[in-house]
Amino acid sequence: MSAPMIALAGVSKSFGAHQVLRSVDLTVERSEVVCLIGPSGSGKSTLLRCVNFLEPYDAGEVRIDGRLIGYEDAANGARRPMSGRKLRDMRREIGMVFQHFNLWPHMTALGNVAEPLRRVRGLSAREAAERATAMLTRVGLAAKADAYPSRLSGGQQQRVAIARALAMQPRLMLFDEPTSALDPELVGEVLEVMKSLAAEGMTMLIVTHEMGFAAHVASRIAVIDEGRIIDQGPPRHVFHESPEPRVRQFLQTYHDRNAF
Amino acid sequence: MNPDVLWRYAPSLISGFGVTILCWGLGGALGLLIGFAITLMNRVRIPPLRWVLRAFIEVFRGTPFLMQLFLLYAGGPSFGLRLSATTAGVVGLGLYSSAYFAEIFRASFASVPAGQIEAATSVGMAPFDTLMRVTLPGALIAAVPSIVNMLIVLSKETVVLSIITVPELMYQVQTMAAETFTAFDAIFAMAVFYWLLVETVSRLGARLEARMTAFLAHEERAA
Amino acid sequence: MKPEVILHSFGYLTQAAATTVAVSFAGIVFGFMIGAAVCAARVSRHVWLKRLGAAYVSVFRGIPLLVQLLFIYYFLAKYGLDVPAIVAAVGGLALSSAAFQAEILRGALNAVPRGQGEAATALGFAGLDIWRRILMPQALRISVPPLINEFILLLKASSLVSVVGIAELTRVSMNIASQTYRPFEAYVGGGLFYLAINLCLAELGGVAERRLAAGSGR
Repeated sequence: MSAPMIALAGVSKSFGAHQVLRSVDLTVERSEVVCLIGPSGSGKSTLLRCVNFLEPYDAGEVRIDGRLIGYEDAANGARRPMSGRKLRDMRREIGMVFQHFNLWPHMTALGNVAEPLRRVRGLSAREAAERATAMLTRVGLAAKADAYPSRLSGGQQQRVAIARALAMQPRLMLFDEPTSALDPELVGEVLEVMKSLAAEGMTMLIVTHEMGFAAHVASRIAVIDEGRIIDQGPPRHVFHESPEPRVRQFLQTYHDRNAF
Repeated sequence: MNPDVLWRYAPSLISGFGVTILCWGLGGALGLLIGFAITLMNRVRIPPLRWVLRAFIEVFRGTPFLMQLFLLYAGGPSFGLRLSATTAGVVGLGLYSSAYFAEIFRASFASVPAGQIEAATSVGMAPFDTLMRVTLPGALIAAVPSIVNMLIVLSKETVVLSIITVPELMYQVQTMAAETFTAFDAIFAMAVFYWLLVETVSRLGARLEARMTAFLAHEERAA
Repeated sequence: MKPEVILHSFGYLTQAAATTVAVSFAGIVFGFMIGAAVCAARVSRHVWLKRLGAAYVSVFRGIPLLVQLLFIYYFLAKYGLDVPAIVAAVGGLALSSAAFQAEILRGALNAVPRGQGEAATALGFAGLDIWRRILMPQALRISVPPLINEFILLLKASSLVSVVGIAELTRVSMNIASQTYRPFEAYVGGGLFYLAINLCLAELGGVAERRLAAGSGR
């Protein structure tokens, strides 16, 4: 049995005096779609960002396909920060999609997708453009290749961001509240793309508030509260059978608004 | 105002205008270069260097331009610097504006949204590539309005050069005024001329700004 | 390099610094009064007033200060008005600063959230009262930091009144330079005084900003 794609063991993180993550354990197997839900301030975004070491974690281990990220074992058995180059190499294999898209405004949609291919994967301009066009087609935006982000709707920008991450052919993808910044009518187009990625077998770890999406697409849902994972399991278990009062309390607001 | 007078002095007035443009252009370019260099040097975290740079900026922003000119032109020989008036003028404009440009560039670098840099980091881009392809373009575009503004301010400062006898437009006008006893008319014409110049440049600047930043407008429409 | 030159002229420089501050202060105060009037013109309902205000700002911001000062000087000479140089100097500074202050005030008025005036209107306040009790106090508070900045700018600009003979810091530095044949020390001395004044003003500005931020309840 191969190593899980993502394995967090005993991960802790503090911002100054405030401890945000308290010894978190979580695994995501190959081709699993795990949704991370929880109240604001619970640490879910921080947890996600520790996976690709955008946030350094203080204690514990984060392993990507068996390999420790962010730190390497030093000679005397202790550990030291991973070299910049090795960290970059690992990040190439991890795709990330942000809440506010983070497209580069001075490049077109095509430019945004092609840029990492050129600078990080070292493709030629032509190869990068070809792959980028294919990716934009994949997310349904081939027609907008020459548009600047300011001319695209939020949903279109997010799809370009997904294409940009996808073009790198990552082994797994992280989503940090991908639809939270979108007007309601634009959420659907992004969720559709994410659903198709899941159907193709992409390993995905998603922080989200979209309970409907989580219910139908996630293989597993993990509920995080005050820096700890308090329950996890298939959607049915979390939404209807959870023994944890905090989980039921948190989901109550959603059950009230849209019963599923 | 006697048209004869104008005709006689036309060559010197035109040459004066040329010198004004030259000083403004060279001074502005020098200022941009030095200012940008200062900002880049500031990003390297060496405390003594940053201290020196901060002192430079404070001195050139905290003292009048005229004083700086006098120091360069009249005080220069004291430490071995014998500059012609025009050279002192250009260097003076360059040093004076560099302090302001340095602050402009600093602010524009800081204004690049952290998210854009995170996106580059998350995809594994090396720091150099991130700087050249994401941070720098973003900062330069953000700096355009302030740079245009400062260049307009600089164009008005060129008249101060006349005080250290740089043969720019103001100097020529005053010479003409003194020789022909037409001080009032000359200054009046000068005022009108400058007002037209600044108005025109301001409007052109605004249009240039608009064109360059058009595609940055409404970045996150759906948010 | 003879630093003692600065020490020996310390008295003159201090006096000159006082003149600089006084002239600049007078300039900013009169500039505020004129600027407020110009700002009022710019926001008035009458189109001709609006145009007049806009023209004033355009003219007095577009023409370099030196040209303005010399213009006033020659204007007075041409029409034989025997005005002391100091009046011409302060007048010139005031007229120029007024244009910038008018824009600062106008910006501050725009920065007052629209909802404040609307709430007052909805509650039945009379127009003039809305102005006096709600809009103006807030606009004034918002405009303090940029006005202090304008003061710092005016202080530096005041060095130009040296050309009309006022014995402020720049002119006195020039005198010291020509009398001691040590221009470098003279101008460094003058520069140091300018820096010192600016430092005090910057401190003042910082204090004012903190006080105002606290008061606005943010």
